[in-house]
Amino acid sequence: MIKLTIDGQEVEVAPGTTILEAARDELGIDIPHYCYHRDIGSDGNCRICLVEVNGNSGKLAISCQMPCGNDMKVETANDVVVKARKGVMEFLLANHPLDCTICDQAGECPLQEYSYEYGSAESRFVEHKRNKPKHTEFSDKVMFDAERCILCTRCVRFFEEVRDDRPLGVEGMGGESMISLGPNGPLTDPYQMNIIDICPVGALTSRDFRFKQRVWFMDFVDTVCPGCSRGCNISAGSYQGKLLRFTPRRNAEVNKSWMCDDGRLSYSDYNLTDRVRGARIDGQAAFLDSVGERLDALVGDGSGVAVLASTKSSCEDLFALRHWAESRGVTNFWHGAASWEADGFLKQADATPNTAGAQQLGYEPVPGDGPALRGLIVSGDVEVPPALLADLDFLVMQAVQESALTTEAAVIVLPARTAVEKKGTWVNSAGLAQAIAPAVDPGDGVPEDWALWRELSKKVEDWPSVRYVTAEMNAWLADRSTQTPLVAADS
Amino acid sequence: MKLSSVLSARFEKPDSHLLEGYRADGGYETFLSVLSEKRDPDELTALVKASGLRGRGGAGFSTGMKWSFVPKDTGKPVYLCVNGDESEPGTYKDRQILEFDPHALLEGVGIACYAIGSHKAYVYLRCEFQLGCERIQAAIDEAYAAGLFGKNIEGSGFDLDVHLTMGAGAYICGEETSLLNSIEGVRPYPRNKPPFPAVEGLFGCPTIVNNVETITNIPHIVKRGAEWHAGLGNSDDPGTRLWCVSGHVATRGVWEIETGYKLQDLIDGPCGGIRDGKKLKAVIPGGSSSKVLLPEEVAQVTMDTPGIRAFGSSLGSAAIIVLDEDTDMVDALVNLMKFYAHESCGQCTPCREGTPWIVKILVRINEGRGRLEDLELLDDLAVNIEGRTVCALADGACWPLTSILKKFRHEFVAKIPSAASTEEVVGA
Repeated sequence: MIKLTIDGQEVEVAPGTTILEAARDELGIDIPHYCYHRDIGSDGNCRICLVEVNGNSGKLAISCQMPCGNDMKVETANDVVVKARKGVMEFLLANHPLDCTICDQAGECPLQEYSYEYGSAESRFVEHKRNKPKHTEFSDKVMFDAERCILCTRCVRFFEEVRDDRPLGVEGMGGESMISLGPNGPLTDPYQMNIIDICPVGALTSRDFRFKQRVWFMDFVDTVCPGCSRGCNISAGSYQGKLLRFTPRRNAEVNKSWMCDDGRLSYSDYNLTDRVRGARIDGQAAFLDSVGERLDALVGDGSGVAVLASTKSSCEDLFALRHWAESRGVTNFWHGAASWEADGFLKQADATPNTAGAQQLGYEPVPGDGPALRGLIVSGDVEVPPALLADLDFLVMQAVQESALTTEAAVIVLPARTAVEKKGTWVNSAGLAQAIAPAVDPGDGVPEDWALWRELSKKVEDWPSVRYVTAEMNAWLADRSTQTPLVAADS
Repeated sequence: MKLSSVLSARFEKPDSHLLEGYRADGGYETFLSVLSEKRDPDELTALVKASGLRGRGGAGFSTGMKWSFVPKDTGKPVYLCVNGDESEPGTYKDRQILEFDPHALLEGVGIACYAIGSHKAYVYLRCEFQLGCERIQAAIDEAYAAGLFGKNIEGSGFDLDVHLTMGAGAYICGEETSLLNSIEGVRPYPRNKPPFPAVEGLFGCPTIVNNVETITNIPHIVKRGAEWHAGLGNSDDPGTRLWCVSGHVATRGVWEIETGYKLQDLIDGPCGGIRDGKKLKAVIPGGSSSKVLLPEEVAQVTMDTPGIRAFGSSLGSAAIIVLDEDTDMVDALVNLMKFYAHESCGQCTPCREGTPWIVKILVRINEGRGRLEDLELLDDLAVNIEGRTVCALADGACWPLTSILKKFRHEFVAKIPSAASTEEVVGA
């Protein structure tokens, strides 16, 4: 171990730890940085993370690369360091257009943040600013503004370090340097939109999101991407109940700081119209009590009845549904499936987030030669195989959206929430249980799926909130002994 | 002060660049004797260290010391890179060696490689040195054909391959780690240190980067001994150097002189004084990155590292730029700073954004649109650049600025209109 002093405080770190990491992880000191990024390392070009080592004020060291040394004395905020930092901020802003008022990055921009902290309200730069191209289409997804760029090269290094590719580079020299597309033309990488997130300024913006909404007017919820079974952690951003974007949230085990563009852009699948609201029997609005009575009558002893549930439903949804159906003698618990092409990086072939959770709860894939069915109860956002629909006496649809099945085929129609409206637990393909949170509110007449089955099971007192469902589910899983309990969902 | 004839001894001989003449003058004998006598590489390094030879590229670091930093037994190849990217304004000393005595350099390469345990050397030249590049390549070819390079040289068991690599016109490639990146074929941004090249250099392997003139000294030192070299000129910075003089002297050129001479003697002697009988105004003594000297300083300074340090400047690349009384120092500084802004590689924020800003301010002052506060601003910008970047070239860009600004402040003030508002001068 290496012992050193940072701002007068002694710390002990493993060999190879940089000063920036030691200050952050051991002392909670946030040394400003632009070119350094946790998941792509640093280039050492931005110079804002300069610190003084052993009193050498003539040549400051970059804390993002300088390894800690024994008996080092590091100052991260003395006068020399603060002056250097202010100097770097001033240089960065000298030719920066300062067009925050029309810049999408405003409100979530480290250049703004450090500028408040270390910048000066007045500029000493009275010359004409340098002009560079303002809107270069890097692809149909990414727009580049060279004037805002501070040349930290995070975007270039993202492709090099994470994608083993070099579609971007730096052209020109000195002040005329510019990030530019390589000879192969526009970006095609299916993870290219990550460079928008890691760009510390407004140089790279999302052509999908730009100019849609100011981030400070938006609501953000930490949840999990519903796009596939990887379970990338995301922040879901919405405005007045409408989803506007997904961005990745760092989780070192699951997705680091990244997510695929398909998952990112899948937010638009959840801004639905034509929702199922309230319960219906034979096309007529109905109270849940009558729905319960009718269901009991239809299901009978449960023979010849199957449940087909979505793997976008939460474990709690699936558990509550199972609890209701099992008590009525149903023994066929099946889960739906959806797939897209896996890409060998994050994106998994299973295009739903909770297949592993469904399977732990005893749901099985729809059998090829299943029993003859009398009735089918479909729950959640799931494709119903047409073969299951033949020869049914009754169909129950708990659905997010109206369809031919809800308007024509189903006897009973119940509302369901989409994957981004739920609170509960998903289990990803690696078996990791992760809490999900509702990013938007579906509005009237769409209770949580688990809550609807709670009513029908008369368990309102047992399950006042979702965490009671989680607890009972974990106990149930423990009883089955072959299963490990899921991690409790965040209350 | 007397002129020397060690490095320059063969410059004026006919066909001095060909192997035949070089060997007739005893060339390659030292290299071959090192091989045949199986000299101890560590002893050679110690010899070079004892000779007191300092690098001739600009920083003036002890050559033998640098060699001794190469780690032993890493299992990785060791490389020698010869820095011939001579681009510092005013500097054209290496060019003489490349064009007129290429084999002297190559013999030095051979001995240096043997001493540091390298079997592959890259001679990196700026592509603008067309003749130099041609002659080095031809000399390498001649040496291979004569069995002086290649496998098992003269049965010694020592292998050595030497390659010529050419730059593409960027000043930054003279910075040693940029040079390594350039050879590797990536964008020539200087590398953050540590690690230093001696430990982790070209292709991640231990690498020594030496200047052309430095390496050309090696055969002489090995042949004549450390004491001989240590006895030349100033004891703290011994040897002869090729001094290239440009600017307003009657005769410009390269002279080989032992260190420790008086700068005034060079100007008055071989250079024939200031041209057209003008008076001296200033001398930039070590390439454009060194701090300027005033006439009274020129009259006293001795040209060796401690001597010039006493006047706050440096010998740098030994390029002496002489400026006469008619020189507009503001104009001269604009010219210099345009060079640094143009040649900034653009990697580090302070140099990338600072040097063009400095140019804009200086141009304004030069055009009569300056403000008095611009002078303080210039000084402060230099503070915010110097020591805040990856490489030392940003420091080198600040030194002429701060020294000229300090020593010739009156010339800047004279160009600033009195009591002009910011709006008036910058045309807001």
